[in-house]
Amino acid sequence: MNYISSYCHISSASCSVNGKIINTFNTDSLDEIISELYTSLGIKYSKFHKMDELSKVGFIGTELIKNSFPEIESYGENDIALLFSNQRSSAKTDIKFLDSYKDGGIPSPSLFVYTLPNILIGEISIRNKWFGENMFTISKNFDTEYFTNYCNILLNKNAEAALCGWVNVDDNKIEAFFFFVTKKDLKQLNLPLESKILSGLYTAS
Amino acid sequence: MITYIGSENIISPLGSSAQENFLQVKNGKSGINLFKNVGVGKEDLHLSKIKILTVDYKFDYLLSNCLNNIVNESAASIIDSEDTIVIISTTKGDIEDNLTTPIQQSINKLQKEFNLAHTPIVISNACISGVLAMNTANNFIQSNTYKHAFVIGADAISSFVLYGFQSLYAVSDEPCQPFDKERKGITLGEAAAGVLMSDDESVFKTEPLEFVEGTSSNDANHISGPSRTGEGLYRTVSKTLELGNVNVAEIDFISAHGTGTLFNDEMESIAFDRLDMNNIPLNSLKGYFGHTLGAAGLIESAIAMQSIRNNTLIKSLGFKEEGTSGGINILAENLEKEVTTILKTASGFGGCNASAIIRKLK
Amino acid sequence: MEDLKEKLKEQIIDRLNLEDVNVTDFSDDMPLFGGGLGLDSIDALELIVLLENDYGIELANPEEGKEIFDTINSLADYIQKNRK
Repeated sequence: MNYISSYCHISSASCSVNGKIINTFNTDSLDEIISELYTSLGIKYSKFHKMDELSKVGFIGTELIKNSFPEIESYGENDIALLFSNQRSSAKTDIKFLDSYKDGGIPSPSLFVYTLPNILIGEISIRNKWFGENMFTISKNFDTEYFTNYCNILLNKNAEAALCGWVNVDDNKIEAFFFFVTKKDLKQLNLPLESKILSGLYTAS
Repeated sequence: MITYIGSENIISPLGSSAQENFLQVKNGKSGINLFKNVGVGKEDLHLSKIKILTVDYKFDYLLSNCLNNIVNESAASIIDSEDTIVIISTTKGDIEDNLTTPIQQSINKLQKEFNLAHTPIVISNACISGVLAMNTANNFIQSNTYKHAFVIGADAISSFVLYGFQSLYAVSDEPCQPFDKERKGITLGEAAAGVLMSDDESVFKTEPLEFVEGTSSNDANHISGPSRTGEGLYRTVSKTLELGNVNVAEIDFISAHGTGTLFNDEMESIAFDRLDMNNIPLNSLKGYFGHTLGAAGLIESAIAMQSIRNNTLIKSLGFKEEGTSGGINILAENLEKEVTTILKTASGFGGCNASAIIRKLK
Repeated sequence: MEDLKEKLKEQIIDRLNLEDVNVTDFSDDMPLFGGGLGLDSIDALELIVLLENDYGIELANPEEGKEIFDTINSLADYIQKNRK
């Protein structure tokens, strides 16, 4: 049996870790929300500012999980699988890239490199020097069955833990949910990784 | 338990079956042609374009036809079974025709058309998507989550992707020349390719092969530049060999990624050197099909499977003179030899790398 | 020329999203790449776009950029000589 040892919600209204709200937002601006969250992390990482919004939210969620679960540092560099998913791939950045060249403009190379959703996994890997399994999937809704099945498969195979995320950044909305899966109930949250439990956690934002 | 793999299919400018495509590449035929005014600055550029593919929603068309071809090569009863999952590999779906939801609608259509019991799983992990999709299918089968998996990769050529690679100065002005000294970048291609994987040998109309193992690893280095040390590729191949219980000496052939860019091909040569795979015959098929992104891993696996079936390794088209520092054995000519076990690798943006081993049934 | 250099610094900070950097943080002769700014190959390509978009200068080959983008001095110098 595998367990959820930490989880985090980020929406346009608030951000919570393990069910406790740590930020609420009084703005409609995604830039401001993201910048507020980044500032509250209290870190300096110049690459952050170059990321697209999808990667920024993925990065922040990962940092929040790490903060709530410092034991993450004890895992080996190949041990943590990264499984991420969302509904519309990199659509928001795709549109920006398209805008850069329509009407005869010059296509922007720095936008183009973010027109793949798995770049988010790359950014997290680079930041943390994690070399483990990678997979980005696209689905209509948060697929609790897939995440439960595939985490269990990888943890029974060649991963010791999995960091998972459902990360959506649309025109005016952030909707993201992250969770960290371990082989033992290290944090005594009593949350075995089961589809029903995952679904309950996700909707309890 | 064995994961069987077979019923491979390829839809490319060179044909609509794996056999047809294999025959064409064996004869040195490439799908790459020059197209007028297609570049962002109206340059003429080489592409591997399916000429009959003039419909809108090309991605839909490719997915549906490829899946249909594979269904025809398998037991009729499994496609709509509860025990079956369809796994789709793509980078951009129908980006040209549907910018905001380029993938979702096609998946809904496919599910209805084939009356699938489960919504297909869509993997979008840059250029390793195809290999990752096979690895995922194997993991599902080995864990008894599903018994059968239809794995389909597809991507169509779009201005979006072409202009993007042009903005990176990564598009060759000649047909791509992977691993060659004179290589200048990629040539884009479009295609669909797929396989059936199952725990049941009897669902294949033609004798299947064995999918031994597959893993992935990240370089943790840069989002668009390959690792100078081939770190992620080295790690995934090491892991796949270890988990699959396969020695380097057992590998008869490497179906490499070989995009034709300076840094990618160099990175691969360094990784294979670190793996002591210098003498194993290796090719890139991008000189025949171009870089087909989400379809690449599956096309190249399908051709490698045909190599096992036909005991013929295909030369790396466009390769003349060694242009990488690892000291690797790139096939300059076709090679007839007994082929039992092959290694397939892929690397992509986001620093991702994947590998898989397929072999003849014992 | 001094105005151009100041403007270039602002443009570089803006286009390359160097949020942590101020105009006063970089001197005219400081290497743009391989140094404190942490710029990479994609930044170099984005600078080529900037040259074309804002100064009408097209580079045929990104290799040319290496010398041009050495420092603010070299960049300003090149623009001065080649702008349209």
